[in-house]
Amino acid sequence: MSELVNSRILGLGHHVPERVVTNADLTRLMDTSEEWIQQRTGIQERRFISEDRGPAELALPAAQEALRAADVKAEDLDLILFGTLSPDVDSPSSASLLQRALGVRGMPVFDVRNQCSGFLYMLAVADSFIRTGGARYVLVVGAEVHSTGIDLSTVGREVAVIFGDGAGAAVLGPEPDSRRGILSTHLHSEGKYAEKLMIETPTHRLHPRLTEAMLDGPGSRIWPRMEGRYVFKHAVTRFTEVIHEALGAHDLTPGDVDLFIPHQANLRISQLVAMGLEFPEEKVFNNIQRYGNTTAASIPIALHEAVSVGRVRPGALVCLAAFGAGFTWAAALLRW
Amino acid sequence: MRSAVLGCGGYLPARAVTSEELAGALGTSGAQLTERSGVACRRQAEDGQGSSHLASEAARRALGAAGLAPEGIDLIVFATMTPDICFPGSGCFLQDQLGCRTIGAIDVRAQCAGFLVALATADRFIRAGKAERVLIAGAEVHSAALDFSPRGATVTPYFGDGAGVVVLGAAPEPGVLGTVLHADPDDLERFWCEFPASRHMPARMDVEAFRAGRHFYQLDAERMHPQAERVLPAVIGDALERADVTRDGVALLLVHYLDHRVARRAARAAGVPDERIVATAEAAGHMAAAGIPIALADAVTSGRVGRGDVVCAAAFGGGMAWGAAVVRL
Repeated sequence: MSELVNSRILGLGHHVPERVVTNADLTRLMDTSEEWIQQRTGIQERRFISEDRGPAELALPAAQEALRAADVKAEDLDLILFGTLSPDVDSPSSASLLQRALGVRGMPVFDVRNQCSGFLYMLAVADSFIRTGGARYVLVVGAEVHSTGIDLSTVGREVAVIFGDGAGAAVLGPEPDSRRGILSTHLHSEGKYAEKLMIETPTHRLHPRLTEAMLDGPGSRIWPRMEGRYVFKHAVTRFTEVIHEALGAHDLTPGDVDLFIPHQANLRISQLVAMGLEFPEEKVFNNIQRYGNTTAASIPIALHEAVSVGRVRPGALVCLAAFGAGFTWAAALLRW
Repeated sequence: MRSAVLGCGGYLPARAVTSEELAGALGTSGAQLTERSGVACRRQAEDGQGSSHLASEAARRALGAAGLAPEGIDLIVFATMTPDICFPGSGCFLQDQLGCRTIGAIDVRAQCAGFLVALATADRFIRAGKAERVLIAGAEVHSAALDFSPRGATVTPYFGDGAGVVVLGAAPEPGVLGTVLHADPDDLERFWCEFPASRHMPARMDVEAFRAGRHFYQLDAERMHPQAERVLPAVIGDALERADVTRDGVALLLVHYLDHRVARRAARAAGVPDERIVATAEAAGHMAAAGIPIALADAVTSGRVGRGDVVCAAAFGGGMAWGAAVVRL
């Protein structure tokens, strides 16, 4: 029906902590090597917080930058969405803490907990609200502080070397031109594999959800666990599948895509997916080399960097895709 | 296109826990706990039963009422503040347990307003043409997070475990007439839980924080009550006005707040007669994201409301987040 209006990203911002942690730095904490990390993941360095700061605190400057770029005032936001798997506190949502940091009140805020697919899930939510007139301006933030939730000993190395801290933000608003903005979003999940990449505790399946024994020692159940080979194999398949689904919905082909930004999970996954879809190197944007995997934050950080360096021109077809814990995966097509 | 309720279902775990049973561990009497919380008995999930398992039971009932198979659902929206595990979200577990297709499973966190947030989200997906049949789950296993020591005596008796599900579908005429959502973070420490806290270096959880009990809910109910009594009547009035429904047109008002006595007072202040009010925490304690869909399913199953009736649901709680929805069944 004609009452639906497209939504568009009006402004972007990102923020990462100053402390750079190189692969060499990690070799001093655990039995690993710079070459191993680089070869397996493509990551050269990542950022970690150096003082007590949560995702909402990292998100604040990112959100302010996105609001400035969009020329929207924080008090004019109709909805704030926050994607994270490492919330500032157990409850309430990190969205509430960001709302407080922004100094605004009244508009609804909530967290979307969809891990690596979180940013694209939030784009789908924001797009639904804007398209139907349920909101005009929506702030969408993906932010993570992983460094306090990973086991930086040799036991945890397979997961710990991958993750970094950071925040990315986008302000969305209505777009009168039906050919521009978010063209479509595509969301998926397969809970059969939920425990292939997870943090188990606190677990509300057990009474109590947390015990002192769970906190104790190496291999503790408060650290993430990953069956890397499983995740890698499914990622390559599902990334490819959902990109075809998104393009197919608009009778487009991979050749029509001007820029592909995959969730920055692992450079080898991104390269395999891009190769399979025959995206040439100049049409793919990766920055995992500098930030590691920042889950819900990775796409907005990468998109902001790509836009900032002129890789996204007006009229460009941008393909965003993600895969991660859940398993969840998703894609979004945007006409810039 | 608009959205309408196709079916709903509720589920409470079998094990009932009376205030008398809690009294020993909480260092007080059963009468005192019931007096303080207004709750004499609540349900408790068994070990191994997470929020997704409770939601699965409720979902089977809701799908049955809607005459739908799990394959007919094209989106899950799951609201909880007590997920099965730290991550991934409970929606993924529910997708698997129900045998849904590999559809999207959104996990939202908005504490006591979680179900209203999920309902508004599902309504928007349907109206935007992004989904046709959405399964909305609200489920909580609070009992896993509660402090069963004297330290928890002012918090623990309020809460219970349970799940409710509403299946929403595309319809030519609106069933969901309107949703209004708000949040004000100024006093969020009145009901919060600090740990695990990713902002805490070097690790988001440690033995020191654990021994101090900083992973338990902190609740200042006395200071929340006046806020609830202020915002609930206002948001109910606002939602009804936007939906163009009069007080007389409301067949049932579900009011969702930690203390059901305060909730009922607030609902009366909104101008709805007592006999048309259900305070969700009356039956089996407060269940943050689950109280509203459980109460709705109860009202439908018992025949208290039926097709064509207008139901208003309002919530206030952690965040501080609140809102109201008006639905024609």
